[in-house]
Amino acid sequence: MSLEQLNANSFEKIIYDNEDSCLVIFSRKSCHVCKEVVPVLEELQPQYRDRVGFYYVDVEEDKNLSQRFSLKGVPQILFFKAGEYQAKLAGAVDEDEVIDKIAEVLES
Amino acid sequence: MGDVTYDLIIIGGGPAGLTAAIYGGRAKLRTLVINKGTVGGLVNTTREIVNYPGYGQISGSDLMKDFKKHADSFGVKFSRDEVVSVNFAQEDKIICTKKGQEYTAKAVIVACGSEPRLLNIPGEKRLQGSGVAYCATCDAEFFEGEDVVVVGSGDQAIEEGMYITKFARKVTVIVLHDEGVLDCNKMSGERAFQNRKMEFVWNSTIEEVLGEANVEGVKIKNLKTGHSTELPCQGVFFFVGMIPSTHFIKESGIGMDRRGYIPVNDLMETDLEGVYAVGDNRVKYLRQVVSAAGDGATAAVVAERYIEELNAFSTSVLKSDKKVLLLFFNALNNESLEFSTLLEETNQELSEPYKVVKVDTATKKNLAQKYDVKIVPSVVVLDRGREIKRLDYSMEKEKLKAQLR
Repeated sequence: MSLEQLNANSFEKIIYDNEDSCLVIFSRKSCHVCKEVVPVLEELQPQYRDRVGFYYVDVEEDKNLSQRFSLKGVPQILFFKAGEYQAKLAGAVDEDEVIDKIAEVLES
Repeated sequence: MGDVTYDLIIIGGGPAGLTAAIYGGRAKLRTLVINKGTVGGLVNTTREIVNYPGYGQISGSDLMKDFKKHADSFGVKFSRDEVVSVNFAQEDKIICTKKGQEYTAKAVIVACGSEPRLLNIPGEKRLQGSGVAYCATCDAEFFEGEDVVVVGSGDQAIEEGMYITKFARKVTVIVLHDEGVLDCNKMSGERAFQNRKMEFVWNSTIEEVLGEANVEGVKIKNLKTGHSTELPCQGVFFFVGMIPSTHFIKESGIGMDRRGYIPVNDLMETDLEGVYAVGDNRVKYLRQVVSAAGDGATAAVVAERYIEELNAFSTSVLKSDKKVLLLFFNALNNESLEFSTLLEETNQELSEPYKVVKVDTATKKNLAQKYDVKIVPSVVVLDRGREIKRLDYSMEKEKLKAQLR
């Protein structure tokens, strides 16, 4: 299943108002590394249904979001819990790294 | 879960693997490509390819989509998975993946390509995504108006460096060699020297990436003087060459060179029977899409022949109702040709109690190895695939007859 894309408004609502435990991948269409990491998240998503939200931000469409977190590259996966930024993973991460990070920062 | 037994399994879906798949599929081999991530491999990272015949100009990922579509049209199966271990010791090769699948195949083509080499210097991993980058297409825009350092001087370093100048204020290239010497092609080198945003630091390498939360600079070491200097910057792009992605296969006993590249002969055969290596992960001179494709075609045709031999051998020898005389000969060896004629004659005179199967050791080394045959002519007597004895070589018909009775 594909990831739900967020824009500046929905980002605000889901991360800060609802305080969902979630991860957000910052990505761009022309990035080949992103094309490898996004499917990894798409496959993991069902395992975490109702526990962890999986979202997608296109850095070209929403430049201000990547600037807000002073990101210097894609893909990066940012982890949020209780309305607060917790941690991030950069580059070509694999399934295990994502699972470990979720366990560490979102489910501990 | 799909099928787990195939004729041909190809590990890696870059141009070498996809071409092998096209040939395998067309030869009606049950063919599976196991590929981690998006099909296309490293070619996907190339914005523009201008030297693939028939395509004046195309992006790497578009070209790979065409390769994939072509393979699909011949019924090739694809699995997005990662091979974690292999066992090539038996005739049936076993391949285990990260998703827990265990596949078997008669022949395997290793086409897993290569990956960017890391320098493993302090700060490199910690600041990835915070200024340390490996892909200009992906990340150059984040450095709008900033100072960027590029490490390396190959085609990729110089071409990507020039792309970054579209966004950055200044790009400083750190080069190992003496002034004026770059590893890239001449045309790109000349264009880089003319680019006013490009600067070069010669005879140098990087020792450390500096910065707390984001990259703030790099420590440059001059290899001639041994002196270190710091250069402030907001971004560092590493293009320091590639290493073959063959680590998962090391345990299989396949021959590799010191750096992990697999040596093969003209037929793309490795030192393991039924296992071939193609594209960037083999020892070779030119690593381009067109040469990778050529490798893939060769390996698939050789693999097809190998599988055909296996099948033929299985029906004509191992499952034969009659006892089999497996005659190992060499077409260049007269003695073994004469012996071959004599053996057939003798068998006929005894009203053919045996089926004679001739094996040319020049082309079927694997069979010679399997039966541990070192000299020609040699004859192994098989009953339903089991060896019951070996004949003593003799050019006297009566002596031969006696052994066959």
